[in-house]
Amino acid sequence: MKNTDLLLKAFLLLLLVLALQPGAARAQEDFEPEEMTAFMLQVPHGVEGSGLAVGGSNLSAYVFFESYYNGNMNVTLELDLPEGFIPQDASVHSFSLQTEYEDWYRLVDIYIPQNLPSGTYNITATAVIDVDGSKHAIVRRTHFRVASKEEITNEITISGLMIPSDEDGYGDPSHPSNTLIIRETSPALKKLLKITDLKIDREEFTSTFMGVEVTNKGDSTVPVVVTYNILDIKTGEPVKAFKPTIMGMNSDTFCYAALTLPPGSSSLVSLPLYISDNAMGGDYLLRVEVKLTGSDWVAVTRDQKITAVSRKWGPIMITFASTLLGLTAVSLFFSRSKEIMDRFKTRNLVLISLFGTVSFAAINLPMTILWELSHAIFGPFSFLFTGLFYEILLYMLIASLVVLIPKPGVVSLFMMVRFLLGGFITGSFTPITFITLSLSAVVLEVMMYVAGITGKSPDPENRFKVGMVCGIADMIGGYVSFSVWMVLYRLFYSNWYIMANILIDGFLYTFIGAWFGISLGNRLKKVAE
Amino acid sequence: MIGARSIAEPTIKDTIIHRIDPRAKILILISTAFIAVTLDNPETMFLLFLIVLSGFALARMPAIKLKTLAILLILLIWGTIYSQALFYSQLPRTVIFTIISPDFPVLGWLTNGGLFVYEEGLRHGAIQGLRSASILSLGLLMCWTTDSRDILNGLVGLRVPYSVAFMVVTAVRFLPIIITEVATVITVQRLRGFNPKRFGSGIIKTSLNILTPTLSNCVRRTGTLAVSIQSRAFRANTERTYLKKLKFSEFDKAVVTICVFAAISIVIIKLLYNLYTSGIYYTSGLRPVYAIARGYL
Repeated sequence: MKNTDLLLKAFLLLLLVLALQPGAARAQEDFEPEEMTAFMLQVPHGVEGSGLAVGGSNLSAYVFFESYYNGNMNVTLELDLPEGFIPQDASVHSFSLQTEYEDWYRLVDIYIPQNLPSGTYNITATAVIDVDGSKHAIVRRTHFRVASKEEITNEITISGLMIPSDEDGYGDPSHPSNTLIIRETSPALKKLLKITDLKIDREEFTSTFMGVEVTNKGDSTVPVVVTYNILDIKTGEPVKAFKPTIMGMNSDTFCYAALTLPPGSSSLVSLPLYISDNAMGGDYLLRVEVKLTGSDWVAVTRDQKITAVSRKWGPIMITFASTLLGLTAVSLFFSRSKEIMDRFKTRNLVLISLFGTVSFAAINLPMTILWELSHAIFGPFSFLFTGLFYEILLYMLIASLVVLIPKPGVVSLFMMVRFLLGGFITGSFTPITFITLSLSAVVLEVMMYVAGITGKSPDPENRFKVGMVCGIADMIGGYVSFSVWMVLYRLFYSNWYIMANILIDGFLYTFIGAWFGISLGNRLKKVAE
Repeated sequence: MIGARSIAEPTIKDTIIHRIDPRAKILILISTAFIAVTLDNPETMFLLFLIVLSGFALARMPAIKLKTLAILLILLIWGTIYSQALFYSQLPRTVIFTIISPDFPVLGWLTNGGLFVYEEGLRHGAIQGLRSASILSLGLLMCWTTDSRDILNGLVGLRVPYSVAFMVVTAVRFLPIIITEVATVITVQRLRGFNPKRFGSGIIKTSLNILTPTLSNCVRRTGTLAVSIQSRAFRANTERTYLKKLKFSEFDKAVVTICVFAAISIVIIKLLYNLYTSGIYYTSGLRPVYAIARGYL
């Protein structure tokens, strides 16, 4: 009986085993590891195929596993590194994937020692998949080359450098090569452009792009990082104005490009270039560097001399407007010269020309030498001395002439005689003299007429009014004069110097000159009577 | 003062430069001023300067004028060099001397971070000084080789109103008289104990005391001169006749044509180049023009 039971149990078990056997077998037969999973190994990350690194660098191997199986699987993944490679993380990872399309990935940091011999190494990743108790193994193997610095230097080159370029890195022929344009940043101009519906593209920074073409002549895929620096051409120090802080971040954060160069290929990348407000024009050294990903070692460097052109549109516009104003005034005078001149008696014309002669003899002639001498000796502070002649004496003459002949046009005629006399005697027929004198004449003439110093019922003896009018007009003339010097003669002046000149020479000295000029005019009036 | 007069007055000779029509001289001067202002290339600017200086050799200028020119040019160029050495605002720039340290009380703050002499500024100043040196030299050459009456005739020939030309004639004619008067005033001041050559207060006091007596004399003369001029029918007729008729020679025409053509061409080329470098206008057809501007102008 006992044997019968035992036999029955064995028979039932056999039946059960036979009943279950096809299912299990089917499950094992149905799971195709290569088809129902995706398993990827990149060394270093981003490189498909044979990677490359240099001794002493850190790199990240990328391991990716994805399940296409609708069920549970346990995976044990092991990364087998060649001897000498030092993994910075665990090389064995276990994980479970529960559903279809679930994935797992890791970046495994590896250090390549400095003294590791050059050559090709194999890196293997093995994934053991446990599905319902049955195990399957998948292996991925990749070649990895450790190269010497010399080898890499010979294989990687910066084959092209275009600055400025468009956003794709291609050269932009509409801009001169190796030249950066520093845009005007003055708040006044920005405001003006806004009012006139023109606009400056960026509020804080102007930027352009540079195209860098990197070529890999070797037979390994090389991941690289391309960066640049703009250096002082003499000291080699980076110039911060070209790497400004943007939104609280150092612009190094933005100014790089990561590239993966397949064997025998070239890639063009564009890098943004930011220019801050305080950037100065001049010559710089652009240094483009290519580093291997994971290493601080600069594999390739290319230097290019570049020029930053700084155009101050404010002075340019002032010069243009002043020239236009001067030419218009002269044209108007020429077209209506008879009407204008007929307003003056012959006696007036003679007096104006004699005042012109005196101003020339007492100011221009001695100052032909003294002006230059003073500049040569006192440098930036010479205006304190020359202003005594050019402002006090000159405005004494102008104010006294206006007291004697309080008619509109008297100042312009006086200036014209001075200009022509200066041109004939000292050869000072210069565009600057023409622009500054014509502008000064127009401004002074208009202001005097508006203030009632000249005109139908003139009041030329009000010292304060005449002083203020002359002072303000000379300040305007002085500022225009600096702008014209800067634009036409490409000279530089500091803001403090311009300001000091305008305030002391332009206003203070002129005010004093005009003040005393009224007294002089009154004394001369008595002589004339 | 006599020395100053002889420096200011023209030296009349019969040279190729002296024979140029005054109108042509004015047009050459204006054209050259445009060229000098437009150029940026140091070599071309230096060439222009040499061409202008060669005019002095052709005009066989006397030694005193050449000395005056040399002094003026040295001072002018040095003044530009000095100012640019201080204010140079391009990179690279190397400080070779500190005039005002940034830490200096008040002045350090006032000068917005000190005042330095920059090595590159010296060079920039020397190059830019050539620009004004060329214009000044040519201006002096023109006025030293042309009688003032001829220049005024030239001005009238260039349609400057006669009244203005007359005023300038009057001013020019009175210049020696006023210079003599100024000299007399200075002598009187010396007798009263002033030292006009003393740098500083001497110059200031002299200048201020020159004005009143000189101007008083001018005002007195005005009445007499006006009556005299009006009695000779000044402004009585709109048309005037001139004793000396100006006439352009073939040489004048050729020189003026070359100068005006060069000035217009250079200005247009540079204008197009600046439009290109400013990103305002570019066309590939103008590449040779851009190359000329960049390489030579």
